[in-house]
Amino acid sequence: MDAVDLSLRNTTYALFVRLGRGPTAAEVAAETGTTTTAVQEVWERLHEEHAIVLGPEGEIRMANPFSAVPTPHRVEAAGRSWYANCAWDAFGICAALDADGRIATSCLDCGERLRVEVRDGRPDDDSLVFHSLVDAGHWWDDIVFT
Amino acid sequence: MNLFRSEEHITRWLDGRPPGVTIPVRTLAALAEAWWSDRLSSAWRPRTAAESQAILERLGLTGAFWRLPGT
Repeated sequence: MDAVDLSLRNTTYALFVRLGRGPTAAEVAAETGTTTTAVQEVWERLHEEHAIVLGPEGEIRMANPFSAVPTPHRVEAAGRSWYANCAWDAFGICAALDADGRIATSCLDCGERLRVEVRDGRPDDDSLVFHSLVDAGHWWDDIVFT
Repeated sequence: MNLFRSEEHITRWLDGRPPGVTIPVRTLAALAEAWWSDRLSSAWRPRTAAESQAILERLGLTGAFWRLPGT
């Protein structure tokens, strides 16, 4: 990943945090003083390198651990909120922000609402368990399903 | 990749399908810290597969299920 791609990747992430949603190519272009076409070209390379995930129209779908689309995993931290791609990523948002937070999700079996307070990187409820159906060798076969 | 109230809930949800892997939420939180904590740093660089594998191994996440491609 060259310096240009790395810089634009960092700007994309910074805007995601600031806006609380996935930035558009136009927003990143305005921030970086380039064109939407140039942003889209960099995004395509970042997507190929698994640094971000694009949707079918070339829009930001994931800047892991952040999700650009609503999911069952919502995270509040530092007075803001974001969607996470999965339960792992929900904790990852607190880790990325280096902030305490609150995760709102639900048990996939019974639908019970689960609220987890994260303090110093640790959950306040140790009784919960995490399950991954997909093994690490296949996480990126279909990252949205994973 | 979801949270469940308990292992019994996972078994019921699977409904006979082959399970993946279950870990305690505290291990998940530690994994998230190790995996994502540098994500917003201006010094962030892509990790190699070996570096990612080492994170998993440090947390005891070993075996075929946790084996990343290219490692």
